[in-house]
Amino acid sequence: MSNTLVMLLAGGEGSRLNVLVQARAKPAVPFGGIYRIIDFTLSNIMNSGMERVGVLTQYKPLSLMSHVGSGKAWDFEGRNRGIKILPPHTGEKDSDWYKGTADALRQNMEYLNRYDPEEILIVSGDHIYYMDYTPMIAFHKRNRADFTVAMMEVPREQMINFGTAQVDGQGRIKGWEEKPKEPKGTLASLGIYIFRRPYLLKVLQDPKPMDFGRDLIPSVIKKDRVFAYPFSGYWRDVGTLSFYYEAHLDLLNSRSGLNPEAWGVQTNLEEEGLRGDRPAVILQKNARVVRSFLSADSIIEGRVEGSVLSPGVRVGKGAQVLNSILMHDCQVSAGAYLDRVIVDKKVCIGRQAHITGQADCPNREFPGQLKEGLTLIGKGASIPPKIKIQGNTIIYPSVEEGDFKSLQVSEGETVRKR
Amino acid sequence: MADILAFVLAGGRVDELSVLTFDRPKSALPFAGNYRVIDFALSNLMHARIRRVGILSQYRSASLITHIGTGSSWDMAGRRRQVTLLPPSTGQKNSDWYKGTADAVAHNLDFIYENSPDLVLILSGDHIYRMDYQRLIQFHQKQKADVTAGFIKVLPQESHRFGLGVMEPKEGRPGGRLISYQEKPSAPQSEWASLTIYLFRTEVLLEILKQTHPHSEGIEFGRDIFPSMVHQYRVFGYTFSGYWGYTRTLDEYWRTHMDLFGAGTKINLKQWQIRTNLEHERIQERQPAVIGPDADLDQVLLTYGCRVEGTVKRSILFPGVQVEEGAVVEDSILFFDTVVETGALVKKTITDNGVRIGEKARIGDGDKILANQTLPQPLSSGLTVIGRNTHLPSRIRVGGNCILYPFLEENSFESMEIPSGATVS
Repeated sequence: MSNTLVMLLAGGEGSRLNVLVQARAKPAVPFGGIYRIIDFTLSNIMNSGMERVGVLTQYKPLSLMSHVGSGKAWDFEGRNRGIKILPPHTGEKDSDWYKGTADALRQNMEYLNRYDPEEILIVSGDHIYYMDYTPMIAFHKRNRADFTVAMMEVPREQMINFGTAQVDGQGRIKGWEEKPKEPKGTLASLGIYIFRRPYLLKVLQDPKPMDFGRDLIPSVIKKDRVFAYPFSGYWRDVGTLSFYYEAHLDLLNSRSGLNPEAWGVQTNLEEEGLRGDRPAVILQKNARVVRSFLSADSIIEGRVEGSVLSPGVRVGKGAQVLNSILMHDCQVSAGAYLDRVIVDKKVCIGRQAHITGQADCPNREFPGQLKEGLTLIGKGASIPPKIKIQGNTIIYPSVEEGDFKSLQVSEGETVRKR
Repeated sequence: MADILAFVLAGGRVDELSVLTFDRPKSALPFAGNYRVIDFALSNLMHARIRRVGILSQYRSASLITHIGTGSSWDMAGRRRQVTLLPPSTGQKNSDWYKGTADAVAHNLDFIYENSPDLVLILSGDHIYRMDYQRLIQFHQKQKADVTAGFIKVLPQESHRFGLGVMEPKEGRPGGRLISYQEKPSAPQSEWASLTIYLFRTEVLLEILKQTHPHSEGIEFGRDIFPSMVHQYRVFGYTFSGYWGYTRTLDEYWRTHMDLFGAGTKINLKQWQIRTNLEHERIQERQPAVIGPDADLDQVLLTYGCRVEGTVKRSILFPGVQVEEGAVVEDSILFFDTVVETGALVKKTITDNGVRIGEKARIGDGDKILANQTLPQPLSSGLTVIGRNTHLPSRIRVGGNCILYPFLEENSFESMEIPSGATVS
């Protein structure tokens, strides 16, 4: 069991997360104060006792690579254990970017051939969930499956985002639809696959299937043994701004089922050099904090409610941070007001700035991405004092005070560097 | 740059810290949520780029060994960087426990020979401070000193508790030549108290340690070496004016913690860049602190793994502390994984790791406050201390100045009323 080889697909661009993925891949997007999205999958792998992991990167991998580091944070450092970053590369024949999940593995045959596990587990680094993969492997073996797909029930209206299967009484997949507009069922693929190694190597020899869900599964279910492993529990796609925001609210709700510490989720606190230097949080006199998630190294002199704070956040006197997500080293100056705002790292909010997410009209440039009443501020932006920023607005990374045309940003606007 | 070897005296068990040092040396005492007291000396060394360090410890070192780990937390693991724990050992000649500070160093002459440094810096690992040792070193070299000791100004009424140095006028320098030195004198002649920081020229240290013969009470740098050394060598005092926090007694330890709060905070953890080993007590495995909907927090230091549903004022919560609904914690220091159950009241109390305080218990609360019966001197300010893993039954009442021993179970209490000043073992 423990010699299962894990291939972690971490190349996702996650473009719907807008400025949060401007300089990092989706799996490297910070989550829950101290984590990054990929930590949940890496920790599941560790907690399932698996010791060899290949991480397939593609889009903006730098922050991901420094986060994974030596793999020590997830106990992947040792004689027979290890985590390898596998960047895309040109070869004799292949010189292209990955064209899908199957293609990504095909381009890493060298790594797949290096080890000889019975099973290969394929996961992605895009989701917030806890899963012990060992019962799934047992299920896979018991069914003598060629490969097994983890699936769960989701609301019908979300099926457009998933692959869905029709299964028989034994869990064998008999039919498959990829991202159906009119789904026949509500059983959704979570993008977690366990393959018999010889079977995987055989199907990858065929150069045609590029993606497991789109190409491979529909073409083999008639003749090969493909099973659906039923999963239930907390599992969230955080690939849109509103899903990302809602999953943060789940951290504040003790009954949501999202509980990183109980799940054994680990992160690399030493990343960026000096994370280990960060002292505890100090709540000064007159601070008011309720229903919130606080990381290290914050000094709070104002009000924080319904919010998730990463390390190094300062909330000045009389400032109010409501229903917001503040990433590392943000500074909220005295008297500023934030409600439903997602703030990337190292943002400075000027005194008495008033920023709200609530709005009726969606963002004009990205109506599909930002319509639920949130405001998004990119990494390193400086927000001028006394400005009023209305909802569904996007402030681009590194925007400075001079980039604002006036002290009023209306609903649905996007502010870029001039 | 001079080649420097540092010794950190990790200290032992001290009566004045009672149950808190039953199973750890005092330098391994937790401090300010994420740290151990020794982190301050080690971080100062790291910032001064002194990367060869021996830690002298003989008492209950397990906690210290775990904490130091490979030393990589302080950048002391590498080709020419190392931190070594130096426990007492039996050898051809030496088979004794360390008896005093100088004796501990004298037992490790081979460690000095092996590293052959130009200078040896000797520190104690039980103070809360940020000092740039390079400035001390520069002063020492400029004065061509044989030994330089660190001093700080203390209040006249407190000076009798310290080693005191009389210095030549400083004349704008950060120190002066030491004219005399007396350990804890009954009639103090100086306001400059020793910080137990000594910087020796290596030859001088070796010479002195050879000359000094241990007597039954051991050898201390302050008591046995400095008073006579000032006459034969170039001995200098270096004055320090920053914050200096003591942790020698329970009351001192508590007061130093309270310096974390308030405007113009004296202990500026962020600026000091103190590093710790986050693997110890699994700090890095814990999630951010969860603050519940009815929490009320005012002047609180808290960290990873805490969950607060109740009221907390002027208190320090270490990783994993849980304060349940309706519980009230004031002026207290709660170590790792302490649980304060629903409706309990905890006032001016230090709880060691894993203490559980039952529902509606009242701790450190009471009108007539008597000094502790076993430790009247250090424990008279109303502070109550609870040893590791002790579980207090619900509705118990414990007064001020009480000491409760470690590992007491709920059924080991004969009475539900522990009066002020009592010790329960």
